[in-house]
Amino acid sequence: MAGNFWQSSHHQQWILDKTDLIRDRQHDLNILSDEEYQKIFNFFASIIQVLGEQLKLRQQVIATATVYFKRFYARNSLKCIDPLLLAPTCVFLASKVEEFGVISNSRLITTCQTVIKNKFGYAYGQQEFPYRTNHILECEFYLLENLDCCLIVYQPYRPLLLFVQDIGQDDQLLTYAWRIVNDSLRTDVSLIYPPYQIAIAALHIACVMLGKENQKSWFAELNVDMDKIQEIVRSIINLYEMWKSYDEKKEIQGLLAKMPKPKPAPQR
Amino acid sequence: MQKYEKLEKIGEGTYGTVFKAKNKETHEIVALKRVRLDDDDEGVPSSALREICLLKELKHKNIVRLYDVLHSEKKLTLVFEHCDQDLKKYFDSLNGEIDLDVVKSFMYQLLRGLAFCHSHNVLHRDLKPQNLLINKNGELKLADFGLARAFGIPVKCYSAEVVTLWYRPPDVLFGAKLYTTSIDMWSAGCIFAELANSGRPLFPGSDVDDQLKRIFKLLGTPNEDTWPGVTQLPDYKPLPVYQPSLGLAQVVPRLPARGRDLLARLLTCNPALRMPADDAMAHAYFHDLNPSVKNDRC
Repeated sequence: MAGNFWQSSHHQQWILDKTDLIRDRQHDLNILSDEEYQKIFNFFASIIQVLGEQLKLRQQVIATATVYFKRFYARNSLKCIDPLLLAPTCVFLASKVEEFGVISNSRLITTCQTVIKNKFGYAYGQQEFPYRTNHILECEFYLLENLDCCLIVYQPYRPLLLFVQDIGQDDQLLTYAWRIVNDSLRTDVSLIYPPYQIAIAALHIACVMLGKENQKSWFAELNVDMDKIQEIVRSIINLYEMWKSYDEKKEIQGLLAKMPKPKPAPQR
Repeated sequence: MQKYEKLEKIGEGTYGTVFKAKNKETHEIVALKRVRLDDDDEGVPSSALREICLLKELKHKNIVRLYDVLHSEKKLTLVFEHCDQDLKKYFDSLNGEIDLDVVKSFMYQLLRGLAFCHSHNVLHRDLKPQNLLINKNGELKLADFGLARAFGIPVKCYSAEVVTLWYRPPDVLFGAKLYTTSIDMWSAGCIFAELANSGRPLFPGSDVDDQLKRIFKLLGTPNEDTWPGVTQLPDYKPLPVYQPSLGLAQVVPRLPARGRDLLARLLTCNPALRMPADDAMAHAYFHDLNPSVKNDRC
């Protein structure tokens, strides 16, 4: 669905207003600080990323899954669904939509179990991944409904490739900017800004990091709202600032304990 | 589901039963497509997901409209715009020959729907008369996007087993994996001929070999000169060398010369030379198209 972003459900329904977003989060933000909220999302974005890598999914699929996850909680409190269940469900749905081919549910569950045990033991200790196929399928339904069936997500990767081509192919620049786009999934920018703006912001940061001053004229010639680009740049830089002083391994257990949770479901 | 009153069963779709139903408040007639959720572990079938996510993006008067998706306990129901019949049934109900103005109007609308899909980087991949819906105003709409996909970078291999044999282009029959919008244009050509012949299929092949022979008997067997790369296709096999025969005048006798010219450009074996939808819409055959069809904006 490339090239028609302006007519897409992504543009028409899922570019959210920043103030609305913050207002809709009030319930969770009464319990968690802004920063704690962001750290929790950072953690679950890592889970989605690692799950996707273990399942050998393309980055595009992983990014789509991450955006589903963020869209769901943009409209719902963390206590609606345990993010540990929603994260693999987003991966499952995204892999079907992006035609990666269906991941068998048993493989998904097994991968979740291994990943949680081997890579996120610092967060869950001896606790095992508690969900099974029926939970994922039920959750998929709920997710689909909450996304209002808007499943095609535009990502910054494709515009990024075009921009780098336009600047004059530069593999180092592309690699840096690509990673920055990956990092941007840890912020709210994919909920607030169109993907091409995120791509430009990532390029901008990459140029500064690499000291590529001679690209200034390229940015100057862009017909784009530079204020928006600066807002995105700031969000991503804030993330990097946060990372500098944050030790997830130490803090995450406390954060997960504090996080609003669903009432335990009646045992069936 | 209380919102709709089921009227009758219309048919079985790719992944579930289709009912005609009435919206109890507005009295609007709709088609309900019930998605079966089998107990296996796929969850919502990917064909249904594809249809949902593509139709959510594609809004055009020549594409069937998805009004709503209803969720209920373990069940998903897609609510579609209802059309009175599909093109297959339309053919069956014809008394004698089809009106040539209708052929032109239907063909133009088919191309317009396709041009829209293609401009959104969506391939239909399964065009056939059963998937073209006709309403009582003579409007034609593309339906059944269960096999459609959005394409884009990176291009990867699609399954070769997607199009109903009769409407399948020779490149796909030879196992081409990297096909593009040209796949739909071949099918559109086959449907064009079928329209002009009041519902007689052009190439009703019984298997892949028979299908290829029927095509090449009419159009001539392609070779490396007419279609560079053909012998490199995964399932290529040498077939009898037929010379282009008859000429389209015998095959679609009722179609005027401009119509035959358009048909020849769609039924081009080499996919790289096959005419795209937007060019086809601008073809001289449509110069005298009824303006009410042409100007109908969505």
